[in-house]
Order: sequence, then structure tokens, then C-alpha cells
Amino acid sequence: MADQNSTHYWKSLAERAGGPDFSVQAETEFASSPLRSIEPDPGRRAFLKAAGFSFAASVMAGCSRAPVQRAMPYLDQPGGVIAGRPVYYASTCAGCAAGCGVLVKTRDGRPIKLEGNPEHPLSRGGLCAAGQASILGLYDSLRLKHPLMEGKQAAWQKVDEEILRRLKGAGAVRVLSHTVNSPTALWAIAGFLAQFKDGRHVMYDPLSCSAIPDAHEQTHGVRAVPHYRFDRAEVIVSFDADFLGTWISPVEYTAAYRAGRDAEATRRSCWHAQFESRLSITGSKADRRVRLAPIEVERSLHQLASLVESGAPQDAPPHLQEAAARLRKAAGRSLVVCGIQSAEAQVLCNTINHKLGNYGATVDLEKPSRQRAGSDRALASLLEELRGGKVDALFILGANPVAELPGGVALAAHIRKLPLSVSIVEREDESAAATRFVCPDHHYLESWSDAEPVAGVVSFTQPVIRPLGGTRSSIESFSLWSGRPKTAQELVRERWSGKVNWEESLRNGFARIESPAAAPRAFKAVAVPPREAKPAEGYELVLYPKAGMLDGRHAYNPWLHELPDPITKITWDNYACLAPAAAAKLGVAEGDVVRIEGGPVSVELPAVLQPGQDERTVAVALGYGRKASARFAKVGPAWLDSRGASVGANGLVGTNCAGLLAFDGASLRYSRAGIRIVRTGRRQALAATQDHHTLAAPGGGPARPIIQETRLAELTKHERKHETHPDLWPEDHPYTGHKWAMAIDLDACTGCSACVIACQVENNVPVTGKDEVRRKRAMHWLRIDRYYTGTPDEVEVAHQPMLCQQCDNATCETVCPVLATVHSSEGLNQQIYNRCVGTRYCANNCAYKARRFNWFDYPRDDRLANMVLNPDVTIRSRGVMEKCTFCVQRIQQARLEARRRGEPLRDGDIRTACQQSCPAQAIVFGDMNDPNSKVSRLMRSGRAYKVLEEINVRPAVTYLKIVRNRTREGGES
Amino acid sequence: MAGVVSVLRTPLVAGGKRISDVTRDVCAAMDRKPGALWWAGFLLSVTMLAAGAAAVAYQVATGIGTWGLNTTVGWAFDITNFVFWVGIGHAGTLISAILFLLRQRWRTSVNRSAEAMTLFAVMCAGIFPLIHMGRPWLAFWVFPYPNWRGPLWINFRSPLAWDAFAISTYFIISATFWYIGLIPDLATIRDRAQAGLKRSIISFFSLGWDGSYRTWQRYETVYTLLAGLATPLVISVHTIVSWDFATSVIPGWHATIFPPYFVAGAIFSGMAMVLTLMIVVRKTMRLEDYITVRHVETMARLVIVTSLMVGLAYLTEFFTALYSGNPYEMFVFTNRAAGPFAWAYWTMVSANVLVPQFLWLRRVRTSMAAVFVISLLVNVGMWFERFVIIVTSLHRDYLPANWTGYTPTLIEVATLAGSFGLFFTCFLLFSRLLPVIAMGEVKGVLSYAKEKRHA
Repeated sequence: MADQNSTHYWKSLAERAGGPDFSVQAETEFASSPLRSIEPDPGRRAFLKAAGFSFAASVMAGCSRAPVQRAMPYLDQPGGVIAGRPVYYASTCAGCAAGCGVLVKTRDGRPIKLEGNPEHPLSRGGLCAAGQASILGLYDSLRLKHPLMEGKQAAWQKVDEEILRRLKGAGAVRVLSHTVNSPTALWAIAGFLAQFKDGRHVMYDPLSCSAIPDAHEQTHGVRAVPHYRFDRAEVIVSFDADFLGTWISPVEYTAAYRAGRDAEATRRSCWHAQFESRLSITGSKADRRVRLAPIEVERSLHQLASLVESGAPQDAPPHLQEAAARLRKAAGRSLVVCGIQSAEAQVLCNTINHKLGNYGATVDLEKPSRQRAGSDRALASLLEELRGGKVDALFILGANPVAELPGGVALAAHIRKLPLSVSIVEREDESAAATRFVCPDHHYLESWSDAEPVAGVVSFTQPVIRPLGGTRSSIESFSLWSGRPKTAQELVRERWSGKVNWEESLRNGFARIESPAAAPRAFKAVAVPPREAKPAEGYELVLYPKAGMLDGRHAYNPWLHELPDPITKITWDNYACLAPAAAAKLGVAEGDVVRIEGGPVSVELPAVLQPGQDERTVAVALGYGRKASARFAKVGPAWLDSRGASVGANGLVGTNCAGLLAFDGASLRYSRAGIRIVRTGRRQALAATQDHHTLAAPGGGPARPIIQETRLAELTKHERKHETHPDLWPEDHPYTGHKWAMAIDLDACTGCSACVIACQVENNVPVTGKDEVRRKRAMHWLRIDRYYTGTPDEVEVAHQPMLCQQCDNATCETVCPVLATVHSSEGLNQQIYNRCVGTRYCANNCAYKARRFNWFDYPRDDRLANMVLNPDVTIRSRGVMEKCTFCVQRIQQARLEARRRGEPLRDGDIRTACQQSCPAQAIVFGDMNDPNSKVSRLMRSGRAYKVLEEINVRPAVTYLKIVRNRTREGGES
Repeated sequence: MAGVVSVLRTPLVAGGKRISDVTRDVCAAMDRKPGALWWAGFLLSVTMLAAGAAAVAYQVATGIGTWGLNTTVGWAFDITNFVFWVGIGHAGTLISAILFLLRQRWRTSVNRSAEAMTLFAVMCAGIFPLIHMGRPWLAFWVFPYPNWRGPLWINFRSPLAWDAFAISTYFIISATFWYIGLIPDLATIRDRAQAGLKRSIISFFSLGWDGSYRTWQRYETVYTLLAGLATPLVISVHTIVSWDFATSVIPGWHATIFPPYFVAGAIFSGMAMVLTLMIVVRKTMRLEDYITVRHVETMARLVIVTSLMVGLAYLTEFFTALYSGNPYEMFVFTNRAAGPFAWAYWTMVSANVLVPQFLWLRRVRTSMAAVFVISLLVNVGMWFERFVIIVTSLHRDYLPANWTGYTPTLIEVATLAGSFGLFFTCFLLFSRLLPVIAMGEVKGVLSYAKEKRHA
């Protein structure tokens, strides 16, 4: 080697000269020479050390099993889309026909959550439980993915050809739908029907209000449902109209109602009387609630009409006289609403409103509501035609008449006989099974559409995801069958071009348009003969919709089945509600199965004792026993001792009671007299989330100060005295930055349960099934406790949303042996799932029992349904504790967003899921360290109190007392 | 056999036994082939153990949901069984440590079995905190050990963490104490055994015992020291267990009376269990001369004392609730006595306070059958005491909306049965393999020995 390359090059004379100093000098020439770090002679040992280390390190690295991950990056990143950051699109909820505005939250191209659109003129940011849950419908694996022809899968082209072939020469073509308030869809349907010499679009509503337009036709000469303005009313009298729960447009009405009752903001509060048979959530909020049999409700309306008109009859009961006096005093600022499905009753209601001068003030007929456009008369004549075989083709759009109407079985047989019958629905429901063709419609989050829920307000629907199956928008189907095939987007856009600013309207989700302002209609008095009070024989049946389940269109939705009814707190079933006195008379205990006889069909249902219900009434929920609920047979953990599936003996959730609806040809009626209740001797366990109803301990004892009330007269602006309790803990945990807190206004809360579902969607709360609910293991992080006061006959109701109170002196934190629950520097009580070993000590020691334990691995087998999961929230495994986090992911998102903007967090930047959804805006979240934040101001309110303050856990949730609008004498407050 | 025998005190060992008789009588049980009764008991115990093991395996594989717990009642059978078994253990430690230090010589006949009982009871107890966890495979997280998670420490404020220390300390001390006490007897067995595997094993565990004066002197020193170490455990272990409840905010749990109440209850239940076992042992193993009526009577007296203490605690709880004026507290106690679990409460009161009062009668005290029945009832009552404390306090606490009930599932019942199976399996094996009476100690209290000493 040396010989081959013997030429020695030198850099300096010193080097050439060599010498011991040179190498030292070369090493120290620079301040940090790499030469210095190397040992002068690595040597054998050092080499072996280094080699050994490298070998060990590579072995160690090789031991860790790195999962193979396949990332699918965007080849072309769409504009404005950043992975991990949500994008919101304004749209319109189609959970019912109320047309609430929503903002659809999408993550990485898939919608995961609906938020109320705060700008929307009707819903004002709220969204109900059914609306919140409707996103799950998008990811429903049982949605049809392709058209069906005679029950078999077929191509769209084939189906269209066949439908068009059979339409040739058809005379009587009928489109049967629920209320359609989309102008574009109505236009498309009208265009389609115009091809035939006898084409007609028949709309009906399973929760019909058609008596209202019928009555207005008589009194005002216009067939319309007025737009009720609850916010302008100072006195509200409601006859069986559950306007805060399920009647026409509950979100809008709740927001408006709350605006009129916010005594602290407006220094006044409207007075609300409710005349009803069963206990509805509207009744639970009324200042005066009068329980009457359905027939008496109607008679009371008659009496009130005479009282308002003439002051007579003097023998009217005092509550009616009080209502009449208040109404007259607040003439023009009052509102009478009526949910009775009888044109006579509605005429009386109109007469009262007219006498009080409410038309044009609280009752808007010039810009009427289009949220209920159904006509029961039109339905009756269609059914008559079907029976007579006079229909050539029937198109059922989004409706399920076989399950929703009385005589469904016979109807199905008539539909089967038709030469052409088409269902345009999302799922193969009872009616679709009877039709020859099924043309699956998009989910509303996949489609272009519009809605005009109230004249002058147009709300737009835009797709937020590509259709998941081979479905087609109904608008497109009708335009195709009209021979003018166009996309729904083109049609919607054409419909509104020139009328609205398209881009801006889409961004906002709605637009206000100039609708032809109808001239004020003259009132035409219509005499209503006083109703003969028939001596009531037996019981009167009341059929009602439940919040969430409504008319049964959401029967596919497990979240809504597991949502406790706001009043009974029962899940996964419908049942026969009886007043405790009636049950005692019948010898029926809760859970006894009774047979309801006397109608065209008799049904068997478990009995529920419902305080506050009229004694001659039996109330049963509609919307159950649907084919769509057959899938829940296997919901819930399967194990040795699981007692029964979530479905009943019929294989469905609950029992369909539509057969008991009374249909006299003029209107669908939801009450029926002459009912007998017969004990069957069987029992059926009900799955209730709450067993105890009152704050008083059984067997006496003082009522617990968990719900607190005040009176309107006593309502003062004075600030709350901050009580301090002596504390053993040193004050060594100051919250120097933010300190998160929540205020919940119990006066505003109606118990509608929108927050419960909002929380479930946001936080990936699992559905546990009926058996687990029965074992008191529902997983909802936010529940609404419902308490009664008073006697079992006359009750007052309080709704209390209960969630983790994020206590400063959190009892859960001290007892966890492994520090799986700790306090954050911002006052949050954090649960660390992967540290939890599941001793449940924290839950035992929680005074509010706000913690939830994963008793099993709750099944998440449906991969499509898993698409709805919020990627910001961990899925919890078996054996760990979980609970409300104050939506910590939203806090973090808002913080990051503020940091990106370079601004401090503003009050209101963070809105928890429950707060966001609340139609009454009962929940306020914010920083209590900021004295000007809304939550700080509420915490200083004279109404503020904390639940279980006396045990000094220092909860971060403040409740605001219920305001009862009455004096001790029951007179003017 | 005429010697100096007190006319006032009955002898501790009857039948005028000589030293060699003791060895022969005690070892006889080990030399005999097991009888039909033993086999029956053993098979039953093993069956119960197997059922319990199957139930636990199923529960660990499927989830805590297989128990009847719910969101409001997060503990029931699991922690009830835990406290019950820990309590059982206490009598053994009391007899072996405290009575030793107090020079109660009658303890020699029962201390070996009582200590064995302690050991097996603590083993049973230790299972429950482990399996009651949602993720029992991570149970080691409750111990502070060096780790790479920060290091992540445990929560020293949590009574459950204290429990982990208390129970593990208790087990280690009890096992050591028991083993040290066994050494002289092991040497006796070794000396009697034929050469072979058995002899080698026993020889190993007898640690080269040679019976010399020096060996005895060291043995006595170690034994006394260990007795001193074990004595505080009688108080501390159940005090710490009671803190699981006393440091919480739940009405019915949050009470300062709990430590003395629990310790008294523990000794009460333990004494009852010792009586249950000893009455069977003396009969079936023909040891009536060693475990005499006097022994049974003495322990029955201890049962009366502790029963009264427990009764006083029950009354005090009610008084405190009434006196506090706290509505939640008052409700818990009315609910205990008159609520849905009133049957459990009154079972507890009658078995723990009323039934033991029969022991005031000498005739009852000296009747083996009566004492046996009473001791069984006390065991039942003390299990229900823990059940009542845990379940009735939880099932109706602060917010009425949370109130629920509780029904155990088959899995929980099988787990409880399994713990009894484990206990009796261990005890039956013990009765066959090791001397159930401390021969070395009994020999020291023989009248014969005294006679010789005085000679």
C-alpha cells in the first residue's frame, strides 16, 4: 500500500517536519474540532462497545411492530380544505318539515355533526334532537343503494324506461307525500304532473295540522297555517298544542317562547296556560297547566271563546276566567294556539285570536308557514280513489302511508293492485314493500334542494358529500320523468336566479325574498254550534308524537330510540300512559301489559303511570313498531345473562298504534273516546333511565335543594352573595389563565333533549341497547333529570340537565389510585382513558353520578355508521370510565383558531355541543376568570345557585333558578 | 399423674397428655389416609373453586357488565367480599400476635389454624380488588414502580392505593409469621418422617432446626419481634380498608366512626370464623383434648364483646345522622332500616347484635352445636354488614334522579362461592399436610410439663 501511494503531500512546513506538537495543534486549531470528540485510539474495546450498541439498538428497533399504514394523501388538495380542520357548510335540516338552518361540520370530506345555524331567521341556532340525530341516516347501512323493480335490484335506466312506458296513457297520476316545502321540488312535481290529464299532488302529515288551514279557509278565505310569533306574545294559551315539543316547528317556537320569557333581559315574562290531557313538555313549562280529558279541552275552548267575546258564561271555571282576563288585558299581544284536529275548534281559536286583534301581531297570515301543508281531505279523497281503483299511477314521495295511516294493511293491498306504483324513499319501508318500483332518494346531506318553511324565508340545502350509494334526488327523478332531465343543482339555481344572491345565500344557508304580500284577509265569522258534552264512557285515547321519534320517520335511528322521553324517561318503547288514579282504579301497576280496546284495532302495551295526566285519558306514542326498527334485535352487548333484545316480541321496537287514529274523512284525529283498558296479566319490563321522580325522599323527609325556584315578583337584579365554605385544601391552585365554567338556565330548559343527542354525536357516546338501559347503564354524558313536585295528580315539573360538574374540589380525583382523573390548570376535570384501570371508585364518589363506565365493549361493527364518529374524540374501550369533558376538543379547536388569527380567545368563541344545539339557549359556556363574560355575569345573577353546594365540591356548573310566574294567591304577579 | 394442678383453672389441655402424646395426636391426622368426610368436603370446595374460577374467567373476558352493577352502584359483591375476607383474617392475627404478647396461653391450641385461616382469607380478599377492576391486566399500575411514563406516579391520596399497600404488607407479615411459627413443628415432622422426598422437602423448610437451647432462644426472639410487627396490623389494615369509605363524600360512608367500627367488626367476624373452623376441626380430627370447651368458651366471650362494640357502632351511626341534621345523612339511615334493602339490614342486625347475646348463657356457650350455629350466623351477618354499607349508601345518594336498585347476577354469586371454595380448599389441604395445632407451643402449656417443672 505504502508503495503504491508513496507521494506524501504536505500542507505546511510544520507538518512536513512532523513532531509531536503538530497533531495537538491540528486538533485545537478550531474551537470545536470533531477530532477532539473521538478517542485518539478507538481500540478494540470501544469498537466492540459501539458495535454492540448498534446491534442492540437495531434489534430493539426491529422488535417494535410498526403497523403498516396506508396514507391516501390528496393528489390535488381541494381549495380551502386542510386535513384535520373542519369545514362547515350551511344547509337545511330535513329531519322534519320545520326547515331549521344547519351548519354541517365536515372533517376530511365527511359530515360528522350538525350545528344549528345561528343566523337562521327561524331556528336561530337551535336544532332539535331529531335534527341532530338525522346525520346518522346518512351513514345508515340499510339505506337503499340502488333502485328496485318488483323487489329486485335494477339499473336506473331500466327502471326509468319501465316507469315511463307504464306512464304512457296514464290518466289519474297521483303523487303522495308529506309536506313538501321545497319550491323546486314542488315545481318539479307540478311539471311532472302537468303531463297528465288528471295529475294531482296530495300532501298529508302523519302529525296533521290540516284543521288549521281548513279553519282559515272558512274564517279568512285562505288555506294556510299562520306563522305564530310566540316572541311577541305576552299571554299564551294553548289547547293541546305541544309547541315546545313536537308541534309544527318546535325549535323556532322554543327560541321565540324563550325570548318572550327571559325576565331578566326584558323585565317581563309572558304568561302561559296549557290545557291538555297528557303531560307534554309544553305543559311542563306552563305557568298554569290544566289537565282535562280531550273532549273537555275542546269544551274549554268553547267556553274561552264565549268568555273572550262577551264575558259570559260566568259559571266558567276560575282558570278559564283567569285566562280570559289575561288574554283580554293583553289584546294584540296575546296568542291562542290549538292542536285539536277539528275545524270547529280551530275556527273558535281563530275567532278568539281575531277578537283579541292578534292577527297581524302574533298570528301572521300574510306570510304564512309552509311547515304543515298537508290536507286530510285531499288524503281522504285519494284513499277513496285507491279503494275504487281509479288511480293509474301512484308515486309515494318520502312518506310511509301504510305505517302511518289507519287501515294500513288494506291500503297496502290497494297499492299492490296498481299498475304503476313508485316509492321515492331512502329505505325499504312498509309502503315501499307494497310498491312495484322503489327509486331511492338521496339523504338530504347528499342533495341539492331548498325549502321555504315560512313565506319569504328560503333555506338552501347543499350536498356535503358525494352520494354514498346509487341513489338519485327526487327532484331529478321527477324532472327526468317530465322529459326535462336536469340536475338538482341546475334546477335549484334556475329557480332562484335573479331572485337571490346565489353565492351569498348558499354561504348563509338562507335568503329572504319578497313574497307577494297577501292583503290582510277580512275575518268572516263562522258560527260554531256548542258541542254537546257526551257523557264520557270508558277512557279517551290520546295518540301523541314523542320528541325525537316524532311520526316514526326516525325509527331507523338508534340514538333516538335510546333517547329518554323528556317526561317519562323511558327509552326503546312506546307504552300506555295512565294517570296514577286511573291505574289504581284499574288495578294496573307500571309495566303491566294492558290491552287497549274499543278502536278499530286493539293493541297491547305496557302501562306507565304518568303523574299530571288526566284520569280519563290513556296516552300512547305514535311512530313505533316500524319495520325500520327490526334491525335493533341485536343492539347491545351479547352475554350470558342479557335479558332480551332491544326489540319486542313483534321483532320491532314498540307497537304501531296508527291503526287507532280516527279518520272521519275531514281530518286525522289523535284522540278517540270509548276506549276500554283490559289487563292481560302479563308484564313487560320498561327501560327507564330514571326511577325516582320527586326530590322528597320516599317516606317523607325534607325536599332536597337540588332544584330551586323563585317567583317573578321576587326576581331582583341583586347579585348573588358568594358563599365561602371553610376549606381544608390550601388555596395553592390558582387559575391564572382561563377557568372554564357553565351556566344552565333551568327556567329556559324545556327538557327537549336536543343537547343529549348533540352530546352523543359530538363525543362518540355509544348506544347500549334496551337491556343495558334497563340495568341503568345508559352512557349519555349529559342527561336531563326530571323531577315532579305536588300531588301525583297535579304536578309541577322541573328539568335539570346534569353533566360532569367539573368540580374544583373534585371528589373523583382524590380517590383514583392511578391518577387517571386529574385537574387541568383551566379548571377542567380530565379523564385519561388509557391510564384508567376501572376501579369505579371515582363514580361511586361522584355526588352527581355524572360518570359513565364502559361495562362492555359496546359494539361498533357497522363500519358505515362509524363514519359519523368525531375524529377529535377517542373511542373508549371496555373497562374505562368516561364523562363529560366540557367538549375539551372544542376548547382546543377554538384556542388554535384564535392563535392562528393572532388574537386572544373571545367570549363565545367556544360553544359546547349541548350549548350549540339548545333551542332555548339555556346553556352558556365561558371563562369565569373574565368578569365580562356571559357566564360570569350569569354566575353573579340573583338566580344563580349550585347543586350540592353544601358539600363544598365547588362545581363549575351554575344553575339558574326556575322562575314561576304566579303569586301565592294565584292572582296577578 | 398427680401433680400441681390449679383447682380454679381448668387445664388448657385435657386428658393428661404427655409430650409424646401431643406429637402423636397432632401428627395422627397427617398419617391417616383422608376419610370420606374430608374427601366430600374437598370435592365440594374444589367444585366451588372451579365454578368461581370459571365465573372470573368469563367476567375478565367479557367485562364488568356481567355483574349486576350499574351507573349508581359501582361496587357491590366485589368490595363486600373483599372487606369480608380481610375482616375474617383479623382474628388470626389477633390470636397469634396480640394474645401472644398478652401472654394468653390458651391461644396455643388455636393459633396455628387461626393464622392459616388469616392467610387463606387474605388470599381470598386480595382477589377482589384485582378482579373488580375494569382492566385487571393493568392492576400493577396501583403500585409505585419505576417506569418510563414520566415517571408516572400513583395517587398517594387515594385510599385504594393505601389498600394495595395494607393488604400486601398484611399478607407478607402474616405468611412470615405463620412460617416462622411452623419451623419447630416442621422439624418434629422431619424427625418422624422416613427418608425420602417428603423428608427432604420438610427438612429444607425446617431450616436445620436442631432443638438446641440456642435455636429455641433465637426462635423465641424472632417470634416475639414478628408478633410486635403484626400487632399494629390488626388495627391498621382494617382501618385503611374503612378509609375506602370514610374518606368519600357519600352519605353512609363518610363517617369518622368507621376505623374502630371496622376493626371491631373484623375481629368479631374473624372470631366467628375461627369458632366455625375449630368446632369442626376438634370433632373431625379428634382433637377435643387440645381444643377444649374452655377454648370455645373463651372465644365465645370475645364474640360477645365485639358484638356489643359492633352494636354500639350501629347505634352511633344512627345517632350521628340524627344529630347532624344533614338530610342526606338522615335519609341514608332511614333508607337502610326501611328502604328496599331493609331485609339485608335487619339480617345484619339480628345476626350480629341479637343472636350473639345468647352466648351470655353458659349453657349455650358450652354447647358446641349452639356455638357453631351462632358463629355461622355471625359470618352471614358480617357479610351483610359490608353489603349494607356499600350498596345501601350508593343506591340512593344525593340526587334522587340517580337512584337505582341492585341485583347480583349469577356470575357474582359464583365468584363469591368461588372465594369460599378457595378458602376451604386451602384449609382442607392445610389440615392434611401440616400440623393444625402448634405442637411445640402446646407442649409448653401441658399440665404434665408444669408438673415436671415444679418437680
